[in-house]
Amino acid sequence: MSDSVIQIDNLEVRAGGRIILSVENLSIAAGESVTVLGPNGAGKSTLLKCCLGFFKHGSSGQVRLLGENVPRLGAAGLSRLRRRVGYVPQVLAAHSEVPLTLREVVAIGRSGIAGLLRPLGQNDWRIVDEWIDRLGLGQLAGNAYSDLSGGEQRKALIARAMVQLPELLVLDEPTANLDLFWREQIVGVMDELFRQIHMTILLVCHELEVIPPCCRRVVLLEDGRISSDGTPEEVLTTERIASLYGGSLTVVHNGDRHAVIPSGGMER
Amino acid sequence: MSELIVWLADWAPVMVGGAVAGASTGMLGVYIIGMRIPFLGVCVSHAALAGAVFGSLFGLSGPMLLVPALAGAIVTAMLLGMLEPETTRININVLMGLLFTLSMGLAFLGIGLFDKFDMSDNNVRNLLWGSLIYCRWSHVALMSAVAAVQVAFVVLFYKEMRAIMFSRFHAAAAGVHVTFVWTIFLVLTAAVLTVNFQTIGGLMIYSLMANPAAAAFLLVKGHGRALGVAMLLGAASGLGGFVISAVADLPTGAMIVIFSSTLVGLSAVVNYWRRRGKSGLGRTPMR
Repeated sequence: MSDSVIQIDNLEVRAGGRIILSVENLSIAAGESVTVLGPNGAGKSTLLKCCLGFFKHGSSGQVRLLGENVPRLGAAGLSRLRRRVGYVPQVLAAHSEVPLTLREVVAIGRSGIAGLLRPLGQNDWRIVDEWIDRLGLGQLAGNAYSDLSGGEQRKALIARAMVQLPELLVLDEPTANLDLFWREQIVGVMDELFRQIHMTILLVCHELEVIPPCCRRVVLLEDGRISSDGTPEEVLTTERIASLYGGSLTVVHNGDRHAVIPSGGMER
Repeated sequence: MSELIVWLADWAPVMVGGAVAGASTGMLGVYIIGMRIPFLGVCVSHAALAGAVFGSLFGLSGPMLLVPALAGAIVTAMLLGMLEPETTRININVLMGLLFTLSMGLAFLGIGLFDKFDMSDNNVRNLLWGSLIYCRWSHVALMSAVAAVQVAFVVLFYKEMRAIMFSRFHAAAAGVHVTFVWTIFLVLTAAVLTVNFQTIGGLMIYSLMANPAAAAFLLVKGHGRALGVAMLLGAASGLGGFVISAVADLPTGAMIVIFSSTLVGLSAVVNYWRRRGKSGLGRTPMR
């Protein structure tokens, strides 16, 4: 029995008559921090959705998540599995009309775990408050979620995922549309979670700067296929990134952080 | 004094019926407006109308008309609940638009057939506009029973509905049984709208659903508070609109709609002044 948190074999996803994702083999072990990187449309979000059972139609192959065969799970089985995974989707959700407070939004993470017909108990709310404080949102707990800034909302969604006390944290573009300050805040949160509670983290992004220092494995996805898999220094070479994104780009590795510096025109 | 007592006794079922309908649809509105699918109410209530029209064509009348009306509403609600936007690649609002126009088409086709078969369509025309002033205790009892089921549902699935209102996708990601709870909610929506629809009409029900919730969202934050305030404002709209119409001798339905719309306007003013007070500058945009 392997200790893989995610094990994908011969996964193929078709949409609109073409293959949008084809992964021969991908294995992520417990305790790893892995970043799946690739340009827009590379199939990153589709990969995550397949892992969580959100993309069943038109897919074939085997996807095992936390030991469960995802394509074979029914609705109840999927719900049980998703409670073990803290998933932060790319979409921020909630329209300006929704009157929920930040504390109520974070508590959504305990809703599945508590089970049907059971209200959230004292222990659930203690966990909720603990994670709100831990992510520095204590002062905003009673504020309307829709009144928060994009960065605060993103942190709230990470707290929402963490109150599930998950075995795996999955983040889909967690810094999308955030400024430099909030991007660094989110990168810091991911790094702390990995170092302090040894959380297995699967991050999906398209910017090298978002890769947290704790990440020692990068999987490069290109046109729905894994083109490279290794340490950030091995995968994120100037040649590879320039060929992927086009144009003259220089990759800089500064300690555990990585960045791209444009050094000329863009060509794809 | 005795005249007032007689008047109250005569109109008590109408006032209680208006208040129950307002509270019930106001509660529903919190979720429907929160999820930005206000068209759901119109879509489902017109499907109920189509069902009632064809029920009437087949000779049903009185409370029996509720059966085909409920069937039409439930089929439509289930269609909306079962079709997943990701699979159909159609936005739920577009889907509701399609179902709404289809049910309207069917309803008017049915109304047209009354002439063809030399039948009276008075029964179904009343459904379109409602007949609150003819509300009797038997109607109130049915409306109250459905409202009680609705309250029980919200109490039992409080945390699930809070998650679904935030986002069905986020709720599913957190392991909430979204399809199960959402389907029950849609069936309940169909029942609430059908039962209230024959009393307050297909058009007025939309305002009683949308306006109290919209006003509550402007006044309070928090799931429970929004539900409470929306129910109160809904009940106040149903009751207040009727009282104004009775005193001023104006059409009841129109007064309820205008009264509930006025409550939204007043709530927006309160929200504005509250935010202006907080910011100190009066430049904070309204939520």
